[in-house]
Amino acid sequence: MGPLLYGLDVIVYIGIFGIISLSLNLEFGFAGLANFGKVAFFLVGAYTYALLSQAGVPFYLCLIAGGLISAIFGLVVSLPALRLRADYLAIAVLAFGEILRLIVKSEYWLARGDWGIRVLPIFPWAGSHLVYRLENIGLVFFCLGICFLVVQLLANSPYGRAMRAIREDEVAAEALGKNRSKFKAQALMLGSAMAGIAGGLYAQYLQYVLPGMFMPMVTFTVWIMVLLGGPANNWGVLIGAALVEIFDRGTNILKDYIALPVDPTNLQYILFGALIIFVLLYRPQGLLKESGIKTKALRSVFNGRSSTKDKRS
Amino acid sequence: MAINWSQILFNSVITGSLYLIGAVGLTLTYGLSKFPNFAHAEFITLGAFVGYFISVQLGLGLPLALLVAFLASGIAGFLCYRGIFQPLAKRGASIIHLMVASIAMGFILRHTIGAIWTWKPLHFTATWSAFDVGPLRITGLWLWLIFAALALSLAVHFLLMNTKLGKAIRASASNPELALASGINVDRIIWVTWFLGAGLAAVAGIFRGADTQVWPMTGWGIILPTFAVTILGGIGNFYGAIAAAFIIGVAENFGVAGLIALGVSTTYRIGIAFLILIITLIVRPQGLAMLFRRA
Repeated sequence: MGPLLYGLDVIVYIGIFGIISLSLNLEFGFAGLANFGKVAFFLVGAYTYALLSQAGVPFYLCLIAGGLISAIFGLVVSLPALRLRADYLAIAVLAFGEILRLIVKSEYWLARGDWGIRVLPIFPWAGSHLVYRLENIGLVFFCLGICFLVVQLLANSPYGRAMRAIREDEVAAEALGKNRSKFKAQALMLGSAMAGIAGGLYAQYLQYVLPGMFMPMVTFTVWIMVLLGGPANNWGVLIGAALVEIFDRGTNILKDYIALPVDPTNLQYILFGALIIFVLLYRPQGLLKESGIKTKALRSVFNGRSSTKDKRS
Repeated sequence: MAINWSQILFNSVITGSLYLIGAVGLTLTYGLSKFPNFAHAEFITLGAFVGYFISVQLGLGLPLALLVAFLASGIAGFLCYRGIFQPLAKRGASIIHLMVASIAMGFILRHTIGAIWTWKPLHFTATWSAFDVGPLRITGLWLWLIFAALALSLAVHFLLMNTKLGKAIRASASNPELALASGINVDRIIWVTWFLGAGLAAVAGIFRGADTQVWPMTGWGIILPTFAVTILGGIGNFYGAIAAAFIIGVAENFGVAGLIALGVSTTYRIGIAFLILIITLIVRPQGLAMLFRRA
């Protein structure tokens, strides 16, 4: 693979993981929910896409269906745990991800288990990897743009402010008449839908789906992206997604050139773990701080002064 | 084919014993530090590998392996707490940050183990004498496991109820401020508990490894039932955990018998623990805690 093709491949991955990072940012950054089963919804989207596209459904419908089914799963799984503390939700969703991977692995009739299934490409590519990747970049970044717009608008709307209020103090928000369970469930549904769409894009780009693509490590990678970039800052998480993906690829390339006494794959995971602990210890707010709220009213109050004060320390 | 009910019941006891040993440390540290330590799975794995190293690679026998594995995992648990979780908690990290840190710690430990021993599954070579008692097939390993679970239950019961340390653990779990005001060194209590909890996880790891195989995912493979035991038993509740471990042991083994009868894949046995976890969250999120004396 030439450097140009490789670079384009990295860009597609950044786009896909950017979408998942945005969805986690919505759930964790704005609503304060610990979704440790992100990969489950990614998997649902990818398999829905793969199975429907095999049945001959047009690709945009497959993507939308992946998002919808993922959202339903998100709601069903989180309902028992939403009223409880954050740790219950984390355990329940993490467990759900593991179970779901087991199901697609052992139900051979569904998607041929460990053999996986092929996904037909939607773009005419005529053997040119360059064209194929450019087309995919177009599609992925189109979806990323929509997701970014949705999350960004949501974050600056009254709805987003209620969400942040619930994150900061559930009881106070509830006392002001905000139904915390409803807000949390909606955040999880929307987040899962976005993760599902990302899953569909992933399946279509790779042209196959396998249970092995959906290990808990995927969830963890997305968490690194969000925490590194800056929770509750959409630009931040996109930067985080790009940095982590480039770091991942960089170490992958380096290992071909540098002889190490340890297996580089292990080393890579160890470095990821160390990175996250480092970020949590020394810069828990991430690279970019939480974005201030931008509304017309605030803008006129501050009369053109560049930004609103960030109250969160 | 006739179903061998007594064998299923016996298997339930074995499964329950394993989950109990695995979950005791988790429930105690969860109760004290107020966050679920996902790296607990890696304490189990570490125990399995150290036990394998001592008993198979060095050929020094199981008792010594248990002891060294206990110490090795215990020290790992202590270092994780002192080096990462305590500083994080002191900086005001939220429970979500602590959970993420514990997953990160898990990855570091798992892949360090993978780098040292590689990812190839290893097997304990010791052969266990198997014998039949009526319709039951029993191996020496299983008897050891049941014995270990019994000894552990009695020891922890004695520790919690009859020693100053146990009293201090219970006090720190139920009200840290008051415990501190009463002159208990809560900080020391917490790290001692982390040491003991991680050490016990290592014991579970050796039995799990000897019964199946030893590889870096040994601990992660039983993380789900371990968490189900912790939640069903009530977080931080040792007596609840005993009951929960055997409830899940029974449910799993009878569930597997049912799955076989229905002709469904037995890989779903882990789904049974998940089902119990979800039902607990819906019906009784505090677990069995109030049925037992607080521990």
